[in-house]
Amino acid sequence: MNNGGTVETQGLSILILILAFAATVIATQVIRRRRSAFPIRAMRAYESLSPIVGAAIEANRPVHLSAGSAGVGGQNTLLALANAELFYRVSQQAAIGTTPPLITTSDTTAIPLAYDTLRRAYESRGMMGGYRSTSVRWYPAGPRSLAYAAVLTASMGVNNVNANVLVGSFGPELALIAEAAARRDQGIIAASDQLEGQAVAYATSDQPLIGEEIFAAGAYLGDEASFRAALVTQDLLRWLLIIIILLSALAAVDQNVSRFLGNLLSTIAGER
Amino acid sequence: MRRLAGILATAVVIGFGVLTLFGLLLDTPLLADPAQFFLQLVSITIAITIIIGIFNLLTVHLARISRRQTGWGYSLVLVISTLAVFVLTILERVGVLRTEPAVTTILLEQVQVAIESALAGLLLFGLVYGAYRTLRKRVSGWGLLFVLALLVVLAGALPLPYLAPLASVREWLMAVPVSAGARGILLGIALATIVTGIRVLIGQDRSYRE
Repeated sequence: MNNGGTVETQGLSILILILAFAATVIATQVIRRRRSAFPIRAMRAYESLSPIVGAAIEANRPVHLSAGSAGVGGQNTLLALANAELFYRVSQQAAIGTTPPLITTSDTTAIPLAYDTLRRAYESRGMMGGYRSTSVRWYPAGPRSLAYAAVLTASMGVNNVNANVLVGSFGPELALIAEAAARRDQGIIAASDQLEGQAVAYATSDQPLIGEEIFAAGAYLGDEASFRAALVTQDLLRWLLIIIILLSALAAVDQNVSRFLGNLLSTIAGER
Repeated sequence: MRRLAGILATAVVIGFGVLTLFGLLLDTPLLADPAQFFLQLVSITIAITIIIGIFNLLTVHLARISRRQTGWGYSLVLVISTLAVFVLTILERVGVLRTEPAVTTILLEQVQVAIESALAGLLLFGLVYGAYRTLRKRVSGWGLLFVLALLVVLAGALPLPYLAPLASVREWLMAVPVSAGARGILLGIALATIVTGIRVLIGQDRSYRE
């Protein structure tokens, strides 16, 4: 029975991957041909990024970008990659200014990614003269990331930061950083993949991002069809999940639905 | 040349990614063994990045000291502390410094942990300030509902007999809406992670494409 369950899980995992793959590829092609095929809703946090960066350039102060403990190689590798896209877009806008953005991380695996992101952003603008490798900074997290939060509260003041984009993996320690930012009248956009961090981010952000919205930066700040296609795929999977949850709820009260779902799962997993 | 390097990097990522994915999903040793090997390589690479981290830390702060930037004194303390811990660790490892408990352990427990504990105490004020900020900035129906729910949850946690009805409301709030919301957020993140993974696997990620 246990083995059967494992086979079913494997079958479902492969099915989800194939579905996501097919949807991404098809949606990319459709959007490339017709950009207005899948309109996206307005998201204030991303809309407010350009004015924030503009204000920082005018004030000759840096924008602080932090991914917290998101790093490559662990559970939040893909979050780190999504953050890299967000930081790339912000750095690209900030590259025309004289003060480069400040990228901080508490995970050493994110350092090469941050260096590369900043370098590519400056290169894309042809402004390599303004690139400073010392703008990427690693601060050790400590057992509960509080040391990292403490360093940031000081660093934000010393570097005279104009605004903070704290999007990544943060816990409740985000409250300390946000409080320090608010005291210095610095703007803040925050989101986290951790529930405690997300709750704090929602309460303290000027414009909050929630959950999967962290991954949508490429679609909102860029122009590429593939990022928009990723959003379409996410929506498709979300609707599928909603249907499955509703069917499961029905199955809990109706034996026939339960039997039907059981047969369907077995067919998917190739068990006859 | 650069374009060729980009294509090569993409091919390597797709090849290794697909092989690892199917190695983890399917139980066949033909795929599972290489997948485990690749994961071991990742662990080694992660260990190497710690050296990059220390190099980054020293470079940034030595540059601050040499340019006499604002707060360079803090950087000086940081560099001296880092080097001192290095020296102490080396002395311990070669057996020159033998204390029980080890000096580096004392430093970690008495300095780092103590400071972090103090900061954890301050966290409460940060959280209260966050809640206050929410109300100040966004007075809306949802904001008021949030405050109401917060008050019910906090009051329901009080061990007062006449607040017993609030305790059951609190329990319901935690078990149903809060739990549902938390699961919704986590499911959303999981779906976005799958899609981002697919983008990486089909070579659409910028990290190695440019």
